[in-house]
Amino acid sequence: MQSQIKHIHQQLISKQISCVDLVQQRLDLLKQNSHGSVNALLDANALKQAQAVDTKIANGENIGLLEGIPFGVKDVFMLQGTFTTASSDFLKQYKSAYTASAIQKLIDAGAIPIVKENCDSFGHGSSNENSIFGPVNNAKDPSLVAGGSSGGSAVNVAKDYTAFSIGGDTGGSVRQPAGYNGVYGLKPTYGRISRYGLMAYASSTDCVGPLAKSVEDIRIVLNTISGKDVKDQTTYESAPIGEAGLADTGSVKTVGYFKNLLENDAMDASIKADFMATLEKLKAKGIEVKPLDFVDAEALISTYYILAMAETASNLSRLDGTNYGNRIEAENLIESYAVTRSENFSEESKRRIVGGNQVLSQGFSDAIYLKSLAVRDKLSADFEGFFNDVDIVLSPVTPGLPPKVGDGLKDPMAMYLSDAFTVGFSLGQLPTLTVPHGTATGIQITAAKTDDERVLQFAHLLEETL
Amino acid sequence: MPQGNEITMNKTMTVDVLSSIKGAKPSETINKLFEVIKNSDLSTAGSSGNNNQNAVSIEQLREDTVVHASALEKQLIVENFPQEKNGYLVVAKVIEA
Repeated sequence: MQSQIKHIHQQLISKQISCVDLVQQRLDLLKQNSHGSVNALLDANALKQAQAVDTKIANGENIGLLEGIPFGVKDVFMLQGTFTTASSDFLKQYKSAYTASAIQKLIDAGAIPIVKENCDSFGHGSSNENSIFGPVNNAKDPSLVAGGSSGGSAVNVAKDYTAFSIGGDTGGSVRQPAGYNGVYGLKPTYGRISRYGLMAYASSTDCVGPLAKSVEDIRIVLNTISGKDVKDQTTYESAPIGEAGLADTGSVKTVGYFKNLLENDAMDASIKADFMATLEKLKAKGIEVKPLDFVDAEALISTYYILAMAETASNLSRLDGTNYGNRIEAENLIESYAVTRSENFSEESKRRIVGGNQVLSQGFSDAIYLKSLAVRDKLSADFEGFFNDVDIVLSPVTPGLPPKVGDGLKDPMAMYLSDAFTVGFSLGQLPTLTVPHGTATGIQITAAKTDDERVLQFAHLLEETL
Repeated sequence: MPQGNEITMNKTMTVDVLSSIKGAKPSETINKLFEVIKNSDLSTAGSSGNNNQNAVSIEQLREDTVVHASALEKQLIVENFPQEKNGYLVVAKVIEA
């Protein structure tokens, strides 16, 4: 798939299409909301920005590669003056006071945000059914879920409603919907992109991630939004990834995979068979393939959810209806907090907040929270060891195919287990890309910390191989 | 180990009070996740305990200066306040009569 960004850029500078017409066409498609992917359209500002781009072109001025490119924003990112609801009753009337760093960098480069995208409420979900705006339908088959939590973003990219979208990934929320809808989705190394202005879910794994239809577009957007930000002290400086460097696919000699996770009973037979066939094709190209021993799926899921729940219980304690959000008055302050939080959080969010507070309580914390932290440290050490032996780790994105709309919320445990292949890389803070090839829900490519470039290089090699 | 929905702190506190969520109860699904970790004999020997720390040195901290918000930002913060009466922002009653 060629770069959508470069294609549109060429159309704009050759005056095949005006920026106003381009943006209007995308807005018209989004307005139909055929798949439930839209929370709010940003039409007035988008058309104003598009007019400015047209004026520059008409005046013979050069425009940057991202100028005039319409993109989508998951509805958990601050964008000054727009509603930022987190798909929740709590914040359905909340207006961002400021703009997230990653979104601001795109705006500064001339890209045009056109839509706030549906997602699971506060990122709590893997099907995009936990939303006050209703479920998002899969781009390939609307009777299936879009995946989550960045389901609206994945569908908008897949349907060409946006040239690219910006999602958030805490335990797989970019990679899993990318796999379900057949697009690319990157969770970069933790800290490569500033989280300032992204509503906090689990701060130690929260990442900003682009979704797009080509590796090249992922590269362009990643380069634009990466970098150190004093407003997020976990960020680090990173060198831009060059286009030419991506063709250097010879650096990968050895690939690893988690044999034990594939042997789990929940594994779909067709996904497993297709994944193993992909490994065989790589072997035929002279790449060595090594099985790796990893933590079992149940322990992995439990560790991730325990830590994520503890962090989200802490982060969402700020939501009490005092300074912002939908306050429900009661007879006194304490009762007002309790009723406000009970009425405004979804059942899934309440389940995670309550679980997180249990985890952090005296009597529970040593046996559960501290043990989970120790398991996470062990996982990180294991990953360091793996990457001494292999250049890349490959895995399926999901153990199963997307469920039917309506089935996802019936069985929370099944939903949690569907994250078995994504959460480990979140706990390890590793760069991981979903490519929409290899299995029905794609394949994940993971490299060592800060080696995001190698992930993109290998994606090129995989495209050539499959 | 506490049982059911009671958490032992300085005094026994139920999860609805602990979470400030009226009517909240523990989830059987979440309890199953707890059991997996409690009962696991995962070897964590050799873990350094610092693989996921992302601390910065003091030299990298931003300047310790006040940065004023823009007029628009201040206006939006006020607009987001849940209740207003006669030009005043209304808060819940804190002190009982």
